[in-house]
Amino acid sequence: MRYLLLIFLLLTASIANAKPDTIAAKKVPAVIRLDTASVTLRHIDTAAINNYKKQKEFIYKDDYSGPSLWTRFWRWFWSLFDWGKTKTGYSNFWKWAGVLIKYIIMIGGIAALILVILKSAGIDINIFRKGARKAGIAYTELDENIHEIDFEKDIETAASAGNYKLAVRLLYLRALKQLSDNNLIDWQPNKTNQAYVQELNNNPAQGPFKNITRQFEYVWYGDFAVTGSGYSQITKLFADFKGGRP
Amino acid sequence: MENENFEQRTDLSKLNAAVENIKASLAQIIVGQQHVIELIIAGILADGHILIEGVPGVAKTLTAKLVAKSIDAQYSRIQFTPDLMPSDVLGTSVFNTKTGEFEYKRGPIFGNIILIDEINRAPAKTQSALFEVMEERQITMDGELYKMDEPFIVLATQNPVEQEGTYRLPEAQLDRFLFKIDISYPSLEEEISIISRQHQQKTADQLEHINAVLQGADIVALRQTVRGLHVEEKIIAFTARIIHETRNNKSLYLGGSPRASLAVVNAAKAVAAIAGRDFVTPDDIVKVATPVLRHRVMLTPDKEMEGLTADDVIAQIIQKIEIPR
Repeated sequence: MRYLLLIFLLLTASIANAKPDTIAAKKVPAVIRLDTASVTLRHIDTAAINNYKKQKEFIYKDDYSGPSLWTRFWRWFWSLFDWGKTKTGYSNFWKWAGVLIKYIIMIGGIAALILVILKSAGIDINIFRKGARKAGIAYTELDENIHEIDFEKDIETAASAGNYKLAVRLLYLRALKQLSDNNLIDWQPNKTNQAYVQELNNNPAQGPFKNITRQFEYVWYGDFAVTGSGYSQITKLFADFKGGRP
Repeated sequence: MENENFEQRTDLSKLNAAVENIKASLAQIIVGQQHVIELIIAGILADGHILIEGVPGVAKTLTAKLVAKSIDAQYSRIQFTPDLMPSDVLGTSVFNTKTGEFEYKRGPIFGNIILIDEINRAPAKTQSALFEVMEERQITMDGELYKMDEPFIVLATQNPVEQEGTYRLPEAQLDRFLFKIDISYPSLEEEISIISRQHQQKTADQLEHINAVLQGADIVALRQTVRGLHVEEKIIAFTARIIHETRNNKSLYLGGSPRASLAVVNAAKAVAAIAGRDFVTPDDIVKVATPVLRHRVMLTPDKEMEGLTADDVIAQIIQKIEIPR
């Protein structure tokens, strides 16, 4: 095997050293040819160049004329807070007070910006308002607060003046207040009378309340005339309702 | 009148009897949907056209057909398709070779109760043919004016616009419908009842035996009664505030028109009459506000993308406004 490998190496070495046959190169005589094509001389259009020079896009020279109006405004603005600045610089107190005020103003500005954006987007945020109940009992047609009305006196006054329509209305508002005070209804200005009737579902007060609601609606919305005797009958229904409540 | 303390002002007995008859007649076939039936009757009494929307298979067409069947009047049905032309609805002039003149051949719109099935499958061109007849109850053709007979009621059904092959109706046409009534799926109990009835083959038999319980002329008289109902100034102001708020609400791109204000009051009168009252209460206004306004208002694109519906916004608006009390 070793002999075979030796013979192989000797053979490959002799092939690698072999030289190719040389071929005699044929010489070609050099010929110089002249370029006889006509040359057109082009001139630079000075007017066009001047025109380009006047255009803003081709003026590369940057004349820096100091800080912009905006930058100058902010410098002036912050200089207003340089109360403690002396010739030797700031005292320690004024230095920190200035920084603090600067940040308070920045935070305030950002908060105001957020508020403006939220308001313009129609999002109502009540961060400054107390989380009170949505409405509370604060409305009647005449912007009355039914907690502030002296019902007994006002009903008596209206009835004695023959204004039975108003008297029936006050009787009904008193009934609503009574139900609300006893937590039987959740009084809201936007709720209809029938909504309160539904709210009293499975409550013994529902039937009598439905009855007085009907009386009120006939008088207040139906514009039915109420006579003295009719008012007595209606008053009795309201009295029964009032008496039957806790 | 349901209250002994007050004298009877308006005789609503005939109206209430007619309403009960229609309800009873429809209850033989339709399971549940009492609210829908009541609104349809209110719409008819308020002299309005009614659009019924719902997904396929919730008995929109059946309800409309039964209402039409329970009224003895000329009934006509038009199936709206994408290739329907205005002349297919209104009619067209045809040349009479004998007389040598053009004669107007009336379309199916001439009738008392017109059921337009799948109204939103026809393009805007065909829809616009209905504008004049729905609002003015007349057709102008070749310079001639043709008045519709009273009562003239359009009951239209449609699939929600998200469904395949449907168009959105033009705003001008939507405004001409008094109500848009949404029919939802029945409850579990109602579904069981529907299947049981169908299983016992009751529905098909009963459908044949539905008779007219009201004459067309009666409707005209009942409408007159409804028109005369009392509406207090404070109720009118309450209605106006609701409509006004729809125009200023940030969630709405298009608010209610003055026609919508009139529609709310007219519809509330009909609802009050059905309830046996000859006056309107805020409850009546609240009850009809959503079906009257939901197709008249348009949400802003961002609110629509948020998934808000017209019903939600109308409910929010009503909640903002104080009840006159």
